[in-house]
Amino acid sequence: MPWGRPRISPEAASGLVLISPTFIYALLLLATPIAAVVLLSFWTQDYLDLQRTLTLANYQKAWSEPIYQSLMLRSVKISLLVTVATVLIGFPIAYYIAFMVPPRHRPIWLFLITIPFWTSYLVRIFLWKVILGYGGVINGSLVGLGIIEEPLKFILYNQGAVVLTLSHAWLPFAILPIFVALNKIDRSLLEAAEDLGDGPVRRFLHITLPLAMPGIVAAAIIVFIPTIGDYVTPRLVGGPNGLMIANMIEVQFKKANNAPLGAALALSAMFVVTLISLLFLLAVRKYLRPNQ
Amino acid sequence: MNKLICHRLSAAICAALIALASPALAVDEELIILDWSGYEDPGFHQMYIEQHGDSPAFSPFGEEEEAFQKLRAGFKADVSHPCSQSVRKWYDAGLLDPLQTDKIAHWDDLNKGMVEAFKFGDSYYAMPADWGATAIAYRNDLVPEEDVQSLQVFVDPKYAGKTSIADNVDDAYALAFLATGVSDWNMATHEDLDRASAWLREAHKNVRDYWVDGTGLAQLMAPGEVVIAWAWNETPTTMNADGHPIGYNRETTEGSSTWFCGYVDLADGPNDEAKVYDFFNAWNDPGTVDYLVNAWGYGHGNATAMSMIGAEALESSYLTDITSVPLLFQGPLNYDLREAMIAEFEMIKAGF
Repeated sequence: MPWGRPRISPEAASGLVLISPTFIYALLLLATPIAAVVLLSFWTQDYLDLQRTLTLANYQKAWSEPIYQSLMLRSVKISLLVTVATVLIGFPIAYYIAFMVPPRHRPIWLFLITIPFWTSYLVRIFLWKVILGYGGVINGSLVGLGIIEEPLKFILYNQGAVVLTLSHAWLPFAILPIFVALNKIDRSLLEAAEDLGDGPVRRFLHITLPLAMPGIVAAAIIVFIPTIGDYVTPRLVGGPNGLMIANMIEVQFKKANNAPLGAALALSAMFVVTLISLLFLLAVRKYLRPNQ
Repeated sequence: MNKLICHRLSAAICAALIALASPALAVDEELIILDWSGYEDPGFHQMYIEQHGDSPAFSPFGEEEEAFQKLRAGFKADVSHPCSQSVRKWYDAGLLDPLQTDKIAHWDDLNKGMVEAFKFGDSYYAMPADWGATAIAYRNDLVPEEDVQSLQVFVDPKYAGKTSIADNVDDAYALAFLATGVSDWNMATHEDLDRASAWLREAHKNVRDYWVDGTGLAQLMAPGEVVIAWAWNETPTTMNADGHPIGYNRETTEGSSTWFCGYVDLADGPNDEAKVYDFFNAWNDPGTVDYLVNAWGYGHGNATAMSMIGAEALESSYLTDITSVPLLFQGPLNYDLREAMIAEFEMIKAGF
């Protein structure tokens, strides 16, 4: 760029002006707290006082003690199961709306899918407790029909209940991106496949599924990332063996008086989520390239 | 502000919004009480309402640590309500003002043991308010009475998956200490703590879920999912009132426990100190004592008024004096031991 000319073109300048409020807002409300958490994770706490000598001790603890390892692994496992379940259940629903429902009825269907969001998440968790509980709907019916004598206890207060409740809650977040991807598919491609002799299964596997991949990937990421940090679901339906890493982070910040360890655990969880998401994106990258 | 928003909304929505906002504005905005949710019950501060025409403003919390962090982060309130174990921590964090005991009505009637537990240096920092028992609650139709004569029932394989213990480190360790033969935890050593933790690890194997509040426990006990619980006396009182067959035994061989909480005057409270003491005095009023015992099933720090309540009411709330067996009084504990307890309890609950 020659000297004497303005370094930023007027268009670029107006662009910067336009994004700067958002940028400053994001910086203040996202970057600053994260920076504070990063700093905190290198400090230590002694009863009520923070010791500001930088140390890696919290990370050593977070990565070496069996309790934290096991909670982290359990959280990853639960999140992966929830992701698989929501995508598997969400796909047929999205497929039905995209291909079977007449276009003029689609907005109504999409609207119906959002209905669960009209009630508070807590209310939905408590409804699952009512359904799965010892004296709940499932047990009551099974005992009433004489199929079992004693109510089943393995359906609530364990990791399975956490997976079930989270899957139900996050299902719409999987359906919507998959629907968008399916809806975008050029119908003439499907006709072409049929004309060339593909049966329904082959057509699905070679045309529909690959073209729906961007939606599936988006759904998986949208569900996986937030569920790993979920804290209220395991607390309410997890029972003694269903707690997740976020519950331990809360304990460190509150009861255990060890905010620096809580910060290190939170950042470790962020690191694990980022790593798994990147590996996942790497594995499916060939489906994400724009169509030639 | 209201006008501005209303301008953009239809009149009906606007009217509804204002109607919703009004009750919050109606209360006395001058005194702010950071309290356990539920304690905004006007039955607890009738005298204050008579004096000032309205209730003070309440800001609810669900857990003491939540309140502690909120105050440390700069929330300004005048009065709060920590329990015995937290008062020392709040004091150490500089959140409390010493009480001017001469301004508190019925101060000399308060339970001496509880009052002295809150004395740091020469001053008192909390006014004992409510207390209760922690003991065995059981389904008396499903559990034979002889099974709940000892706390060892919590480690009996017969009740695997059928017990519940409080998700509260003080109640849980009160149980474990009693079961391992320690009835005064101020005398407990780290070896005693190790023994108690080992016992609690055994008891964990029987636990269906750790209860967080009375409602949650009632939901576990009502269908018979949990038949034995380490519970507050509130549980049998309220569940019996709902017609559930719940027994309560405070006199097991190893004993049972009592907990207590108090009102504190927060440092840098934004409002008139005189109103703080009006609120304290309303709490100490015998009318409040009566209401607390009969409607809520808790004991009150005003020992003189408690003694006038009558044996029958105390018995039906399970608040009688126990002398036949050890009673672990959950008084403030040295912080070193308590931090170790907290760390261990979190490990035990997670299965380690």
